[in-house]
Amino acid sequence: MKRTLTRRELLRLMMAGSGAAVLAACGGQGQGGQPAPQATQAPAVVSQPGSKVKITYWGSFSGNLGEAEQAMVKSFNESQNEVEVEYQFQGSYEETAQKFTAALQANTTPDVILLSDVWWFGFYLAGAITALDDLAKQVNLDFNDYEPVLLNEGVRKGVHYWIPFARSTPLFYYNKAIWAEAGLPDRAPETWAEFSEWAPKLVKSDGSRAAFGHPNGASYIAWLFQGVVWQFGGQYSQPDFTMTMTDPNTLRAAQFYQDTVVKHKWAVLNANLNQDFLGGAIASMMASTGALAGIQANATFPVGVGFLPKETNFGCPTGGAGLAIVSRAPAEKQLAAMKYIAFATNTVNAGVWARSTGYMPVRISTKQTPEMVEFFTKNPNFKTAVDQLPKTRAQDAARVFVRNGDQIIGKGLERIIVNGEAPSAVFAAVNEELTQAAKPILEDLKAREG
Amino acid sequence: MATYTPHQERHPNTLRREHREWLLFALFIGPNLLLFSVFTYWPLLYNVYLSMVRWDFLRPTMPFVGLQNYIAAFSDPRFWNIIWQTATFTVWSVGLTLVLGLMLALLLNQPLRYRNTARAVVFAPVVMSGAVVAVVWSYIFDPRYGLIDQLLGFIGFDSPNWLSDPFWAMPAVIIVYVWKNMGYAVVIYLAGLQNIPRELYDAARVDGAGAWERFWNVTLPGLSPVAFFLSVTSILTCFQAFDLIRVLTNGGPADVTTTLVFHLYELGFVSYDAGKAGVVAIVLFLIMLALTIVQIRYIEQRVTYG
Repeated sequence: MKRTLTRRELLRLMMAGSGAAVLAACGGQGQGGQPAPQATQAPAVVSQPGSKVKITYWGSFSGNLGEAEQAMVKSFNESQNEVEVEYQFQGSYEETAQKFTAALQANTTPDVILLSDVWWFGFYLAGAITALDDLAKQVNLDFNDYEPVLLNEGVRKGVHYWIPFARSTPLFYYNKAIWAEAGLPDRAPETWAEFSEWAPKLVKSDGSRAAFGHPNGASYIAWLFQGVVWQFGGQYSQPDFTMTMTDPNTLRAAQFYQDTVVKHKWAVLNANLNQDFLGGAIASMMASTGALAGIQANATFPVGVGFLPKETNFGCPTGGAGLAIVSRAPAEKQLAAMKYIAFATNTVNAGVWARSTGYMPVRISTKQTPEMVEFFTKNPNFKTAVDQLPKTRAQDAARVFVRNGDQIIGKGLERIIVNGEAPSAVFAAVNEELTQAAKPILEDLKAREG
Repeated sequence: MATYTPHQERHPNTLRREHREWLLFALFIGPNLLLFSVFTYWPLLYNVYLSMVRWDFLRPTMPFVGLQNYIAAFSDPRFWNIIWQTATFTVWSVGLTLVLGLMLALLLNQPLRYRNTARAVVFAPVVMSGAVVAVVWSYIFDPRYGLIDQLLGFIGFDSPNWLSDPFWAMPAVIIVYVWKNMGYAVVIYLAGLQNIPRELYDAARVDGAGAWERFWNVTLPGLSPVAFFLSVTSILTCFQAFDLIRVLTNGGPADVTTTLVFHLYELGFVSYDAGKAGVVAIVLFLIMLALTIVQIRYIEQRVTYG
């Protein structure tokens, strides 16, 4: 006769079952150290030397840039069986740096990380990213083939810490359709004086179109303004961290920025410039070369690019992000990370990455590869970006080495442009804020480098 | 296991029973107390300490600097600007939430068709994610393609550049904040309205009171405890508003929508200055504490409890 199981019986059965499982699990050791033969064989395969090292890679790209980055990781994983990279998207450059800071506290760091021009230095000072020279030697990486202006930024005291990967420079972007409509020659302006003459022709009188767009502080206006400051003969700071925001030429550049919006009213400041440019709300802008592929793919009009306009001088900063290896990662993972960096920046892949994004090819030899030569012929815009590279230089310490220097300057510019405050007063305050913010950095620098 | 002994029950050992009650008390309160200690009280105390050191979350050392961070904050005109902006944001947001919430609640208290649907619609934004709401509104505010621009276009106006114009950015944030949080006030007001005894209205009617007098002399006093509760909770949540500001304006343009909480985030997680962020956290805490005490001490006395 059958009867139904009571709840109590069910519980008893479950207890008995789990007890049996526990006993079974302990069984291996209980049998006089004679485990079953299969058990020895299985782990041996896994722990053989040369088995896959899994490393974690934190990056900051989304959209088409994110897809290109994913593709790079995938092609690396498929190219060999020693290392497997797991790519984890962490948000913007700022968010990635925030999470890395938190991860250092919580001891949950990745092995290789993408850090932007303004972030890697702080982590270098804190000893969070490691020297790469020995690792590079082990994977036969030749530093001499990297574009020197890009590579040298990541060198401290002759040691490499930060390898260029998604490196960019600003370019002058213009909407060729609007240019033609205004009867302007099909090129970027040579000088700001020339552009000031052109600009009124590019504006729509009902206010629906400005000639030029400035990004806001969060979209790195201080990066683009870096070039303009140099063009006007000024600078943010001297190499010894003396701030020069109140230098007459720096102030002249700021006054020019303010005039474009407040006095001449042919420029605007907006949060999302790319969208404004694509929508025809602005006729031109300065933006990263890293935006080139995305803008060309989405624009409904022909896109023109050119070198940045000159004023007293030509001036153009480098920018973007590079790769670093985390000090805390075990030696085996550091070496694996270096293998990935070497792969992602080798002659061929530097070209693959550059062609799919618009970032600079970081290797000198990349420019001579047939794929790249062909690409240049088909995309003269991209050639412009690469041609400008030798004329660029690394940014002033105030923006890239002072923590939050980028945002301190950017907010000052917002006040000057958006609020119409006097550049001399605002930049005097910015100068003081930067000087204060630089103090702990100088102390750390002394402790780190002597 | 102890067996039941009537003897012990009749002559209870008071000390032991007290012990047992304490044990029970500790058992009930323990888990909560533990959570509060770990996630509220300890961080609060630790923050007091952090506000007196210089630390960037990375350095191995945290040099003690005493009140330097406080002096630096209080002598910075930007800090007082931010306090003023926080006050502006809070007064407008809470004021509009309470007044518009009351008006909507009165409307939705009428026997209208589709009343329940309307109530659900009004409450819906409350349960939406702040970041999602902010993203949607940033499209609505777009001066060229946005919904507001289109609506203003019908009556012949151009949309202001809401989020990039220092004059309009704060109103824009307040509009979204009120839109998102008003539904909560409406629901609480509606509950309050149900609790006002019908007889009071009948009596007022018999005495010849008109609609406005009934509202002024019956509804409003009857709602005062609810309004008090709402003002306390709204001010406290408003002071902590972050997600909308982060996504809509990121504190800009030129700082005009930076409130204390946003400033705290900026100092701590953008500038990596744990000390100065600690100061702002303490100031924020003291302001909220003071407001709560004032509200409980003085305003509550004037509230009529039905």
